[in-house]
Amino acid sequence: MDIFTGLINGFSIALTGTNILFCFLGALIGTAIGVLPGLGPAATIALLLPMTYVIGSPVTAIIMMAGIYYGAMYGGSTTSILLNLPGEAASVVTCIDGYQMAKKGRAGAALGISAIGSFIAGTVAVLGLTFFAPPLAEFALDFGPPEYFALTTLGLLLAVTLSGGSIIKGMIILFVGLLLAMVGLDPISGKIRFTFGSIVLQGGFDFVTLAMGVFGLGEILYNLESTLKTEIVTTKIGKVFPTLKDWADSRWAIFRGSVIGFFIGIIPGGGAVISSLASYAIEKKYSKHPEEFGHGAIQGVAGPESANNAASSSSFIPLLTLGIPGNAAIAMIFAALMIQGITPGPFLVAEHPDLFWGVIASMYIGNAMLLVLNLPMVGLWVQMLRVPYGILAPIIVLFTTVGVYSVQNQVFDIYSMLFFAALGYGMRKLNFDPAPLPLAFVLGPMVERSLRQSLLISGGDLTIFVSRPISGTLVAIFVLLVVGQTAFYIKRKMGGKKTAAI
Amino acid sequence: MKKYERITAIITSLGGVWIMYYAWHTLKLGSIHVPDAGLLPFLCGASLVILGIVWIVILQWKKEREDGEPAEQRLWHRPLLSLVLMVLYGWAMESVGYVTSTLIFVIAWQKVIEREKWLKTMIIALLGTFAMYALFVYLLKVPIPPEFFAG
Repeated sequence: MDIFTGLINGFSIALTGTNILFCFLGALIGTAIGVLPGLGPAATIALLLPMTYVIGSPVTAIIMMAGIYYGAMYGGSTTSILLNLPGEAASVVTCIDGYQMAKKGRAGAALGISAIGSFIAGTVAVLGLTFFAPPLAEFALDFGPPEYFALTTLGLLLAVTLSGGSIIKGMIILFVGLLLAMVGLDPISGKIRFTFGSIVLQGGFDFVTLAMGVFGLGEILYNLESTLKTEIVTTKIGKVFPTLKDWADSRWAIFRGSVIGFFIGIIPGGGAVISSLASYAIEKKYSKHPEEFGHGAIQGVAGPESANNAASSSSFIPLLTLGIPGNAAIAMIFAALMIQGITPGPFLVAEHPDLFWGVIASMYIGNAMLLVLNLPMVGLWVQMLRVPYGILAPIIVLFTTVGVYSVQNQVFDIYSMLFFAALGYGMRKLNFDPAPLPLAFVLGPMVERSLRQSLLISGGDLTIFVSRPISGTLVAIFVLLVVGQTAFYIKRKMGGKKTAAI
Repeated sequence: MKKYERITAIITSLGGVWIMYYAWHTLKLGSIHVPDAGLLPFLCGASLVILGIVWIVILQWKKEREDGEPAEQRLWHRPLLSLVLMVLYGWAMESVGYVTSTLIFVIAWQKVIEREKWLKTMIIALLGTFAMYALFVYLLKVPIPPEFFAG
């Protein structure tokens, strides 16, 4: 099936009544949680994972999950601009100039340009996904166990190093995630591992309980500590359609943001947060008036908002083509696919073309829906911030508890989710970024299987990982990354000591 | 913070040692030609030991930065209490059924965690329980723990 036939087929699937409804629901929920601070897209998709059992059709379920992810990027800008409060991590940088624009009475223009920029970038990235994913999937068909081992370990390392937090803490979480994935029966030898005599643990931990515990309830518990109350919005929004001058000022920022976001989104660990930061830095560096940044420069809103949307769409590329989730939200979508009995990877295009093309086509529709949802309805979204957290938190707890129980109809899953909630809370208290945990958990079985298969194939010869061109290249990048990071860290430490001595 | 980080680093290393022992002794490592179930857990355990030690060394180097803006007031007892409530909710769900336990849980949450007035508490509890029941049982057709009182 060529790209155009696939896309036409995809549109015929995405445009059915049920899929349009779930695409809209995804976009709507995504925008809502993007607006609400304290609940990110990964947590929301985690909370809705049990719903995928009920939805039945994998295409419909993934269309909704994808809608939540890119919808959150749209919604995240609203509170950043109006309240200087990022609703979502990828919108932190939008606060800088967006809030300044709002203070000058230009909130409408900021909201408008961020919605339009997001729409353009989202569409550009989906176009990239349309044309880039099928050849990459074809290329990945040649991958054997050594290539997969090199790719997954490199992906995990990138996810840790690019997350922006402490590398040591990220690596610890990564190994904890790998170990949690090993609980239960060993798929190759059939030995029971880390179950401590528990029969229910023999099947291993369910990803839904881990995701809902660490991301959903863990975040709720952490937010309960805070004494912050939501401010009443007094900012006047004004006209949401930007003027011709606004457009002229921001069009190149939107274009650059789209390209930067697209490429950063493909890299595991890249994602929306880094792309928005990179876009802001580039806009400021190449601006004719860098002094305006931080005081309400429209490019400082248009660039990062475009970049985070492009990245959220392009991060589907490694998932759909290689079966590698690049960030926590995509790991949730990976789990949703597995729940439906579909293994993401290079065979997805050939074996499930309806899903592959249906989801891609739905992204075009979803982006158009989000533009309509965000521009005229911005006032309505802001009102949602008035819902007190005291009501929202127990509702989420009720939702997660029944949701997790419904997966296997056993109360053990509720306790296991609470264990992960306590773990997630503890991680946040100690400044651990929880993102590598679900990635390591979902990739753990692939890492172990590919490592052991590679050693079996080669008869224990470790050079199998470097003698094959693709895995050799990936291992070389891995080594360069480790050596580079270590050298950078030591140099920084030595530099710091010298300065201190002077 | 540094104290807690040091404790976590020590626990990480000790946990790693235990995983290495468990992998080597109980799971068995196998050989490089035919690796067994303990190989990857052993490698992960060893990595945790090394990372824990490196973290302790880094913490020794790092100067504590206590100055700067005063930290936002955080109420640690609320998450702890809510976690206890959730554990009790899980237990009650199995013992007395979904509807009764949910009603009691929301009332307890609103009174203990949010310290709401009775009227508001009861409205939220009744509406919340009804909405969840309608959503899961009627709309999504999800099985829920049966009511104890229903016989």
